Amino acid sequence: MQWWCAARGSAWTWSWQAYPGVWLLVFALGAAYWRAARGWGSTGGSRGHPGWFVAGLIGLWVALDWPIGALGAGYLASVHMLQFVLIGLVVPPLLLLGIPPGKPELRHRQSMRLARIATQPLVALILFNVVIVITHLPSVVDTLMASQLGSFAVDMAWLAAGITFWWPVVLDRPERPGFGHPLKVGYLILATIVNTGTFLYLTFSELPVYATFELAPPVYGISARDDQRVAGLLMKVGTAAVLWTAISILFYLWYRSEEDRDSTGVAG
Amino acid sequence: MRDFATEFGLGAQSEYLQSGPKAAKGRGARTLLIAALLLIAPAQGCGDGSGDGSSRNDAANSFRGVVLEPGPRPDFTLTDTGGRPFDFRRETDGKVALLFFGYTHCPDVCPVQMAGIAAVLRDLPWEIRDQIEVVFVTTDPARDTPDRLRDWLSEFDPGFVGLRGGMEEINRIQAGLDLPPSVRLSAAPVEGDSYEVGHAAHVLAFAPDGRMRLAYPFGTRQADWKHDLPRLAAAKTRPGS
Repeated sequence: MQWWCAARGSAWTWSWQAYPGVWLLVFALGAAYWRAARGWGSTGGSRGHPGWFVAGLIGLWVALDWPIGALGAGYLASVHMLQFVLIGLVVPPLLLLGIPPGKPELRHRQSMRLARIATQPLVALILFNVVIVITHLPSVVDTLMASQLGSFAVDMAWLAAGITFWWPVVLDRPERPGFGHPLKVGYLILATIVNTGTFLYLTFSELPVYATFELAPPVYGISARDDQRVAGLLMKVGTAAVLWTAISILFYLWYRSEEDRDSTGVAG
Repeated sequence: MRDFATEFGLGAQSEYLQSGPKAAKGRGARTLLIAALLLIAPAQGCGDGSGDGSSRNDAANSFRGVVLEPGPRPDFTLTDTGGRPFDFRRETDGKVALLFFGYTHCPDVCPVQMAGIAAVLRDLPWEIRDQIEVVFVTTDPARDTPDRLRDWLSEFDPGFVGLRGGMEEINRIQAGLDLPPSVRLSAAPVEGDSYEVGHAAHVLAFAPDGRMRLAYPFGTRQADWKHDLPRLAAAKTRPGS
């Protein structure tokens, strides 16, 4: 039994496989949230929004476990990309939406300082895109996806980078009052542009770039080149879909806040 | 299949994939360069994927396949999927011949090898494509009926030649090429006639000069085929001579 999905080299089969490492991770995150949420409630503040957090956990579980996890780790680049979209873009904002404003506060001052630096919008945007590029380099993919530990590292890098990237957008912090809705919209629009390089590289490469997927036992006769093109398109379209949904929501919130301000002004 | 291939040192996917770390170490500068290009100049990222470390030889003009001892191309006649005798030496004379022994129920090596060659052939100019003959000899004639073999090969390229014969004869041909004999791996059928066949995992290539021979183990990438096939088609002398 494998604890985490990795390239196996054997023919794909729809026989269910257990990946206990995925269950442990999801359970640990859920337990950590439950424990933290109890503390948030006791201090009289908001208890957060467990529904969002649970939705994020379900998304994470679906992305990492069989069959998506197994197909994405060793068979299809397109499913690998779907995993990235889910783990790096869909799951993090859901997890963060479950956390009440002003939380979490890290106990160690150094950790808190590091987290503050990493979640500065410009730093977060750069970190996120550096992780995207590095984790999609052929040499990195082919090296890491061959082992469970390597595959785990890629998945966790996506999750950590996604949380860092979404943090300034989702978690309003009192110490960052200048990063309002217009800047958040600009931040996300910029993010839709920056990954163009990776998209172009995958979609328009003449030959398959990943040995892992090119040499994997075929799944339903999908050719390595078609699979890679779909992966590239999925990166662009999937990322754009998520980011533009968020941009639309931000626009709405921005409009609402302006209206509230106007109505307050009129009343005053 | 995998155990058999590994036992005979014929290349297995896992071995190939696990060669990554070593290869990656030596490609640090290239990796950084690609990363920089992807970040700052998106259009520069478009490439042919050949810079992925799949090369086996350092020299720019050398072949990526394993060059074997030179020798004449094998002389055998088997039956093609149309029921006609196919004299390998005569039919492929003056051409690049890619010879592979496999079977259509093969779950991994055979479809990957055939798909890789077919994809690259589609990209080659017709005058080069016309110089290359792909010959697939089934190591499972019991299940690979002429129709099944034809349909399976046509999924990759209708021009691929499929040959059938008795197992004894096929193993004799393989022995003459220093290939291990093909063996049925499951002693008893698992479900109906479901079983796997152990066979050599590499494609043998014969240059038009009639003597040069190369082997392409499992793990050969499309970039490798793209690199070698035009050179093989143009080869009139032994490499290095």
